[in-house]
Amino acid sequence: MANKPNSQMAPEDRPEWIPVDWWREFEAASRRSLETRMRYGFVRTYKPILDDAPYRAFDTMEDYRRWCDENLPRWLGYARV
Amino acid sequence: MPAFDYRQAVEIRDALTRHQCRYLFIGKSGALLLGFPDTTQDADLFVEREPENGRRLVAALRELGFGLTESQAADIERGKDFVQLNNGPFDLDLVFAPDGIERFEDAWQRHIDVEGFPVCHIDDIIASKEAAKREKDRESLPRLRAFREYWLHQHRP
Repeated sequence: MANKPNSQMAPEDRPEWIPVDWWREFEAASRRSLETRMRYGFVRTYKPILDDAPYRAFDTMEDYRRWCDENLPRWLGYARV
Repeated sequence: MPAFDYRQAVEIRDALTRHQCRYLFIGKSGALLLGFPDTTQDADLFVEREPENGRRLVAALRELGFGLTESQAADIERGKDFVQLNNGPFDLDLVFAPDGIERFEDAWQRHIDVEGFPVCHIDDIIASKEAAKREKDRESLPRLRAFREYWLHQHRP
C-alpha cells in the first residue's frame, strides 16, 4: 500500500477526543515533503550511557528492556511502567 | 554526530534494496515517515530474522560504513532480538523481534510504501509501543493514536 492520501477531513469533523490543534498539525505535516518532515523530525541530543558504547546486542527484548530499566537514567523515559 | 537525515535514510533504503534485504522502518522513525509530526533521535529497522537476510544486511551495513567486527556480524546474521549500532555514519537500532508484533511476514503484508521506504503500518507501530510499556511511549501514544485516526481517514479507499 502506498502512502498517498485519498481524502481529507475538516478539523470540525474530526473525532471529538482529538484536540483540534493536533488535527491541524497533522494536516500541516501532510503538506510537507518527506525530506522536510525528516528534517523537522530527527533531532540529536546526547543520551547518557545509551550513547556511550559503539555497539550493544541483546539476545531477547526482555534482556534489553531489563538493561534499560537497570542502567539508564529514569528521566530518559526508557524504563517500563 | 549530527541528526539522522533524509540523505542517510535514502542511503539505507538504496543499500538495503541493492542487497535485497527485507526490513521495515518501525517506531517513531516509521511514524515520521508516515507523516506523524513529532521528533525522535534514531532510526529503527525491523529486520526479517532469516540467515540469508542477515548476511545481506551485514553486507549493506558494511557498504554504508558501519565498522562491524566478525562477532558483531554474527550477532546480526543470527538475528539477536535487539542490536544497537553506534559505530557507523549514523546511529541505527536493529529490531528482530519487536514487542507486540508476532511475525515479520504479518507486518510485511500490512506495510506502507513511502517513496520507496518500506514502513510498518501505523497499527503495528502503535502495537509495538503499547507492548513495550515504556514511559516515553506512554507519553507519545495518545497523540500517535490521534494520528492513526487522521491517517486512516486520509487513506480510506
